Amino acid sequence: MTSASPFDTLRWDDVRVGDELPTLVIDVTATVVVAGAIATRDFMPVHHDRAYANSQGAPEIFMNILSDNAYCSRFLTDWAGPEAMITKLSIRLGVPSFAGSTLTYTGRVTGTMRHAADANGTVEVELRATNNLGDHVTGIAILRLPCAEEASTGRTSS
Amino acid sequence: MVAADDADAPAETTAFREQLDALVGKPVGSGRASVAPDPVNQPMIRHWAAAFEDANPVYTDPTFAAASHFGAIVAPPLMLQTWTMATPMITGIGERGGAPVPSEGPSPLAVFDHAGFAGTLASNSEFEIERYLCLGETVRASTVIESISDRKQTRIGLGYFVTWITTYVDEAGEVVGRQRFRILKFKPAQA
Repeated sequence: MTSASPFDTLRWDDVRVGDELPTLVIDVTATVVVAGAIATRDFMPVHHDRAYANSQGAPEIFMNILSDNAYCSRFLTDWAGPEAMITKLSIRLGVPSFAGSTLTYTGRVTGTMRHAADANGTVEVELRATNNLGDHVTGIAILRLPCAEEASTGRTSS
Repeated sequence: MVAADDADAPAETTAFREQLDALVGKPVGSGRASVAPDPVNQPMIRHWAAAFEDANPVYTDPTFAAASHFGAIVAPPLMLQTWTMATPMITGIGERGGAPVPSEGPSPLAVFDHAGFAGTLASNSEFEIERYLCLGETVRASTVIESISDRKQTRIGLGYFVTWITTYVDEAGEVVGRQRFRILKFKPAQA
């Protein structure tokens, strides 16, 4: 617990439409592809066996969709903080993410809404992951964030 | 519309459309709910967090998680699908086209293959998360075909967008999340 940054959660009140998320760059090595496939229990050979991928017409093994969802989730909470709750992630799948390429995640806030019922608000984020072939993933996410008053009491308890 | 201009494409017959409409609401897979082989657990979460280098402490740091509004360790929300993935039979997985286990009968989507729409391309994934899962919970997933689009002319060929919806429930039967998944079943365009 040396760095404070992974432990802070954005307050809904501090987020504005147009805010940009910090860019996330993933060096998509074969190890990254294989580690993601196995950690998500997806054993399809196109995600870990180059000869098999070649036999299916792909030049390399490529990232599985469960890993796409995982990296989107990490991209979102790296920005929003650990107590943000992802309530929706809707992605469109584009070009493949082959081993040996680089994925760059960018995003920006496109909407904010305060909940009347509780001390939370939601933010909508438009996100995109691109590589040398084009858009790998484009989509939108909705996150629930604490509002200022809850954040200040919630953090000091226990 | 556009499809009618494609000289190679036989017009959609009423009978074929009726076959497609009959698929809506039908289960994908065996028809039984797939029960997660293991409850939500720290070792699999730690493995997932390490693979994606996700340092979010609510997934792996019990002290931090206890003081958070979650009150305890929670599973990464987008790990939902991982819990109910079939335990694979590694031997023969390549020969089965990557299917983790031998199929239990014809897929409801075989109707497309028989009609020449043999190509499959994943198009969209949409998760709705109702709540985060805690350690020890066992989830079940059921998948049904939600909709089948009109015939579309796409960049890669003539086809249909098929959307299925997987509903994830906890041991009490309460919905914890849903995933809509859309594929294009297409007839590869002639070179």
